[in-house]
Amino acid sequence: MIGIARLAAAGLVAIMAMGTAWAEDALKAKIGVLRLSSSAPVFIAQDKGYFRDAGLDVELKFFDAAQPIAVATTSGDIDFGVTAFTAGLYNLAGKGVLKVIGGMSREKAGYPLIGYFASNNAYAAGLKTPKDLAGKRVAVTQVGSSFHYSLGLLADKYGFKLAEVKIIPLQSLSNAAAALKGETVDAALLPISTARKLMDDGGAKFLGWVGDETPWQLGAVFASPKTLTNKVLVTKLLGVLAKADREYHDVILAAMKDGTAPINEQTKPLLEIIAKYTNLPLEQVVGNCAYIDPDGKLDVKNVDNQIKWLQEQGFADKGFDANTIIARDFVRAD
Amino acid sequence: MLDRAGTPPKDDTTRRVRFRGAGFVPASSRFGGWIALALVIALWQAAGSGGLVNPLFLPAPSAIVRAIYELAVSGALWQHLSASLLRIGVGWLLGTAAGIVVGFAIGLSRLARSVGITFISALFPIPKIALLPLLILWLGIGEEPKIATIALGVFFSTAISVYSGVDGVPRNLIRMAQSFNVPFATIVRKVIWPGALPAILAGFRITASVALLLVVSAEMIGAQYGIGAFVLQAGNLMQTDQLLAGVVILSVFGLVVGRVINLLETRLLHWR
Repeated sequence: MIGIARLAAAGLVAIMAMGTAWAEDALKAKIGVLRLSSSAPVFIAQDKGYFRDAGLDVELKFFDAAQPIAVATTSGDIDFGVTAFTAGLYNLAGKGVLKVIGGMSREKAGYPLIGYFASNNAYAAGLKTPKDLAGKRVAVTQVGSSFHYSLGLLADKYGFKLAEVKIIPLQSLSNAAAALKGETVDAALLPISTARKLMDDGGAKFLGWVGDETPWQLGAVFASPKTLTNKVLVTKLLGVLAKADREYHDVILAAMKDGTAPINEQTKPLLEIIAKYTNLPLEQVVGNCAYIDPDGKLDVKNVDNQIKWLQEQGFADKGFDANTIIARDFVRAD
Repeated sequence: MLDRAGTPPKDDTTRRVRFRGAGFVPASSRFGGWIALALVIALWQAAGSGGLVNPLFLPAPSAIVRAIYELAVSGALWQHLSASLLRIGVGWLLGTAAGIVVGFAIGLSRLARSVGITFISALFPIPKIALLPLLILWLGIGEEPKIATIALGVFFSTAISVYSGVDGVPRNLIRMAQSFNVPFATIVRKVIWPGALPAILAGFRITASVALLLVVSAEMIGAQYGIGAFVLQAGNLMQTDQLLAGVVILSVFGLVVGRVINLLETRLLHWR
């Protein structure tokens, strides 16, 4: 709250300093984000004033789950959304009320985000690597979620059938963590932030990172078709984000070793910005940095694969593919 | 005084009035409810087909019917229904049985009353969803935590309505039975039970709906089948027509249960 107030005050001062004529010209936009490092470039661009410099008056709206961001973009409560792909998002996009305009976070080797974790008993009984998950009871948050899709990719990679894995949807991360700790499931997919506490308490064993096993395009920037008619706004916004993507990549991601970013003179200012917006201590931010393409590119082929997988599983409506939901004018493909 | 009340004064200035004290007796028309329902659905469908509302935000009734039909044809509907019915049935029975026992104890014994009411007041307002992670740790992710969630919700409402019902039995009836030296067990069976029954049945009406409400939270715990799990999944996938299909099935459940309780009331309370 204080952070937002401070931001608002800073914005106000800046507008007054630059004169009223400029303020009238500013293009207004509301961006919906989660308080996660996967939206780091948005935080950097806002905090360092890149949006303002480009003549954009950006307001960040914070959400606590990916799905509501997609819904709010559709209903026009926000102009742009930055979050992970979900089956719900694809179903909205398939109906033509959302368009993907750029790439954001990715699962990539060396950048830990989501991991596979085993319960102590299952680990003792021989569940030591993600490959052994076939035939096990695995907790996820929701069917059709990014966790479920990661398991699907894993099944393809190691040649077992996803149907062999017993998927147990528990609706929330805390429920999944409780089930893993209580030995009622053999394994669970959890983000590093949830899993770290569990591992420190000795409640779970680490099996592997999704990024190391099966890299894929996790998040994107999207907007409603109505917003897309304002070409100047979209182009400017994506330009600013690309600049912030580049800075985040070159300063933090390039310096990362063993999945952790060093805290030094170059990285500290940016890490502090991320810490401020994600409400996390600096020590947790450094081990939790999502990979983001330095040019804001989108892995279109993978997006198409995600849609096909969801359609095969019956989680997404049939009759659309990546080309239908991507705004070709703006997206830069891999 | 008494004599005069019987003979109305023959005064010229007295005004004759229509009988006023009929009380409020809202007679239930046989078709009124159905006509209102049909009108609302027709309006809704018209708004949907006319393109006035986005089908994503409010799917038309025809889309919901189609979703239910597809569910029924694929056979998944019966799997969902039977899974949920089992949980609701067992959970409701357990919660009700415990609630009636505790409710009677509170209504009849001083010790149980002081202890019981304190615990009920302290535990009733705890949202069951907040306890889900704990329930998973205690009971795992099988049927037990799902049934426990429903049983817990049903238990508190039942206990409260039963002890209020017991409290509401006219004291003079109980005193009369006592002065005729009727044994305690017989008083409970012949006087208190029938006297409290209207309140208990009214409580059933509420707890049956509570059980239906809680089936959605109960099936948050690793359920693969069940109407609640189906509604949650449809919500997660943004399939609004299927979401509403699940909701419609739940409210049909509610209507059926209401009917059953009406039947019970007419059979058990025919003395009223």
